[in-house]
Amino acid sequence: MATVTTRRVVITGMGAISPLGVGAEALWQGLREGRSGIRPLRHADSERLRVKVAAQVPESFDPAANIDERILPQLDRTSEFALHAAREAITHSGIDFSRDGLGLRTGVVVGTGVGGETTQDEQSRRLYVDNASRTHPLTIVRLMTNASASQISIAHGLRGPTYAVASACASANHAIIQAAQMIRFGMVDAAITGGTEACLSYGALRAWEAMRVLSDDTCRPFSANRRGLVLGEGAGIFVLESLEHAQARGANILAELAGTGMSADASDIVMPNPEGAAMAMRQAMDEAGLAPQDVDYINAHGTGTQANDATETRAIRLAFGAHADRLAVSSTKSMHGHALGASGALELVAAIGALRDGVVPPTANLDQPDPACDLDYVPNTAREMPVRAVLSNSFAFGGLNAVLALKRAP
Amino acid sequence: MAPTIQQQVFEIIAKQAKIDISTIKPESTLKDLGIASLDAIELIFDIEEHFDINFPEQQGANFDSDTAQSLVDAVQKALDEKAAGAGQS
Repeated sequence: MATVTTRRVVITGMGAISPLGVGAEALWQGLREGRSGIRPLRHADSERLRVKVAAQVPESFDPAANIDERILPQLDRTSEFALHAAREAITHSGIDFSRDGLGLRTGVVVGTGVGGETTQDEQSRRLYVDNASRTHPLTIVRLMTNASASQISIAHGLRGPTYAVASACASANHAIIQAAQMIRFGMVDAAITGGTEACLSYGALRAWEAMRVLSDDTCRPFSANRRGLVLGEGAGIFVLESLEHAQARGANILAELAGTGMSADASDIVMPNPEGAAMAMRQAMDEAGLAPQDVDYINAHGTGTQANDATETRAIRLAFGAHADRLAVSSTKSMHGHALGASGALELVAAIGALRDGVVPPTANLDQPDPACDLDYVPNTAREMPVRAVLSNSFAFGGLNAVLALKRAP
Repeated sequence: MAPTIQQQVFEIIAKQAKIDISTIKPESTLKDLGIASLDAIELIFDIEEHFDINFPEQQGANFDSDTAQSLVDAVQKALDEKAAGAGQS
């Protein structure tokens, strides 16, 4: 069998648009302070809707800020978030794609659960409610699932492999894993990757209501009184590079993306399965060369639904054995909500922050212990502690699991 | 005579679970009837559509222990509330 040389992958820049504000640092500061971005739903149809709360990007976010005005009409809200987060991440990393043809050796992989839902909903309303006979001519350009990846590629002159990844609530983690593997196997030297989502349309909110998984007050992961998930939105985008590339240009390395794990439950379209999730966590640790006792923190999927939180607890016990009782586990969805295809990207900001600052963000709103959720969930207040390695879990409807393993910068 | 609420609910359950209506007893749980997860959410939807009612937004209804009779009771309650609401307006 041919020997495959693989390279180490590091993260050198991050950007985010989230319910906690504009910028990755705004998100991380909010999370470590235990602040919630969950608010009463702002929506033109809120009177008619049963869903009352959401984690929305604040109105202070200005989509037009520093975006070419000729490009703006092409953008769905998902691409607005992604472009802003990508620019922040690229500036943060100090990487220059025009140098030595690096743009030719840089890929873009962006995860999104549904893509341009706001556009789809608006244009459908024109057709079916207003009886218009035509949609906006840029409808397709705005709503296509790859729009965010393509807009980032165009804005920064990135000509390597560029595409979208869709796996519902695991989209961002699956995208980040794809990007990391392209670097690991030498297809590219750098990649822009993460996730974006903006699907709080009337139609999508009605669809979530019908599924009966939404909380009517707030998100309480792992708490006995949890009542479901709270929908969110936003984007998290990162600059990944091979370790040698980052070191050669003297980059500030935020963390090493040391291992990845992907699996499918192959059981139920919505009910999670602890075996599938545990398999992905084990793979991520194996690839990173981590034993269970080397991991200090897990950023959990932790949606706040009855099914996820108990099943994820069982999965962590399966993957970690006795060390499960020594782990800090938290769900930051209690603060930034569930941004679906962007959630793994927002949570990667939390994972990097924990490694870099030695602070584990809390699980907010955890006030009633549940016997089915019996780990240390860092309730309500952040914890200062040494963090050597982190897992970040994302599990999706459809039974799809994607886990990232991170280590401190080498 | 119009079918009772119980008959109507049992018919919807039988159709959803693809079982003979005579096998449904008031004390049968949804689990007994082989209705779990998404099937239960579809069943709730079918009942809501049939009676033009909304069940409360409580997440995590216990499909293991909820019985056929508890669904009938919930329909009756929702219909009573709807009638009371209509009377006020």
